[in-house]
Amino acid sequence: MLLITGGSIGAAINLIVTVTTERAPGMTMRLVPMFAWGTLVTSIMIVVALPALAASLVMLLSDRLLHARFFDAAQGGAPLLWQHYFWIFGHPEVYIAVLPAFGMISEIIPVFSRKPIFGYPFVATSTVAIAFLSYGVWVHHMFAVALGRNVLAVFAAASMLIAVPTGMKIFSWIATMWGGAIRFTTAMLFAVAFLLEFTVGGLSGVVFAAAPVDWQMTDTYFVVAHIHYVLVGGTVFAVLAGVYYWFPKISGRLLDEKLGRWNFWLIVIGFNTTFFVQHFLGMLGMRRRVFTYPDLPWFGALNIISTVGAGILVFGVLLLFANIAMSLYFGSVAGDDPWNAWTLEWSTASPPLLKNFEELPEVRSRRPLWDSKHPEAPDWLALGGGA
Amino acid sequence: MTQRGPLGMAMFLLSEAVFFFLLILAFVYFRSAGAANLNLEAGALDTAGLLASVFSMWRATAGDRRWLAITIGLGAAFLVGQGIQYLHLIRDGVTMSQGLFGTTFFTLAGVHGLHVLIGLVVLALVPSTAIRAMALYWYFFACVWLVIFLVAYVGNVA
Repeated sequence: MLLITGGSIGAAINLIVTVTTERAPGMTMRLVPMFAWGTLVTSIMIVVALPALAASLVMLLSDRLLHARFFDAAQGGAPLLWQHYFWIFGHPEVYIAVLPAFGMISEIIPVFSRKPIFGYPFVATSTVAIAFLSYGVWVHHMFAVALGRNVLAVFAAASMLIAVPTGMKIFSWIATMWGGAIRFTTAMLFAVAFLLEFTVGGLSGVVFAAAPVDWQMTDTYFVVAHIHYVLVGGTVFAVLAGVYYWFPKISGRLLDEKLGRWNFWLIVIGFNTTFFVQHFLGMLGMRRRVFTYPDLPWFGALNIISTVGAGILVFGVLLLFANIAMSLYFGSVAGDDPWNAWTLEWSTASPPLLKNFEELPEVRSRRPLWDSKHPEAPDWLALGGGA
Repeated sequence: MTQRGPLGMAMFLLSEAVFFFLLILAFVYFRSAGAANLNLEAGALDTAGLLASVFSMWRATAGDRRWLAITIGLGAAFLVGQGIQYLHLIRDGVTMSQGLFGTTFFTLAGVHGLHVLIGLVVLALVPSTAIRAMALYWYFFACVWLVIFLVAYVGNVA
């Protein structure tokens, strides 16, 4: 795991240096696609957060292999130190997992709504704000540790605060769709489902950012439901939208849309059936990390529903793999730009050639491909987009 | 082109800064007795050698391989000095598993020493194009050592 930590930091450094020094002429930081913004901020977070995991692991390895005493309470060590260090890494990690997903959604929703993203500066700024705030909330994973009232109050407030920039993004995406000519491709379906599922996950997070609620909910299935709505409903749904959106660019062939719809509905129904009832199970007091549960009213019925949902989810995921495998060989040929999109990757061949572009593209706005398709009404003229 | 190496190195050192900040914090957090075992004079000698190597490293960035050799020599002397101190500590019964002082000191100083050792190997092999990036690495770990020296050797005397 220490090696993976080092590898991740190395990859992040590569991405930071690439985004900051290797942009096309004219591509200022105010014009780069939102996915590149998300990648840059995520990479900086990796550089700053993962060493906390590395330090924790070095200390843990010293304890286990060299009989050091960092975390051994019986020998004067402090298990609490492990909790702090782990979550100083662990909470930013949650946002490391979700910020690239936000970036994908910020690319996909505009293209399938036929409108530029609403409030580009706000979407970019809120990404940076989330990154900063994510370093000030780790103790909300430790509310049950008895740390003192003031500590809890500060971290509870900070945790609720992080919902503000996240909410800004949600409203930006909704405003982008508002009045747009929406095309419900499978990619867009997953993007819209992401908005709904992630909002549920975000809201349940605000609920137990309140420390007393957390004392009640901690280590129950409510937490399990929350984390899955954030990581699956958030990150995984966005990644699925990204797979349907970028697969043609990567492979040169489109994923089958009919299978895609089946795939989408099975995953949405399966996911919600599995995890939504776990909110109730948690509130009823079902503990997590225990393989069984007591025979209390509703426990059996709700668990059955959850299990059936998991079954449906499996079929949805298998269908995704089947779709990828079949489309790779039999999918219809995508062409350079199957979605009539705007960002530069769609101006080159699918899959891209060895050096991506035959000649350096000219960039004067956030939608360079739109500009070359519509020389009569380019963005940089209409929106003063060079700004 | 010339900016990419130092920029990448700066990012790497940012992550190392967080890493060492947390290890130093752990050392301070436990504030365990046992610093009396540290030899302040030997530590000061190590520190002086490493700081001198910062100067020679800076001269080496101009492209003179002789200054690079001096840097490597001073770095190696630092590691030998550390090794001798470790042996004395172990002879006095201060080990990784003996108590919290041994645990925190050996982890902190050991991980730092490992970085210096890796730095020495890379410096010996480094092509002249990458020397500015490696110089940043060297300055950084000299600074980290200065903090460790102040916290562990000097701070504990008072």
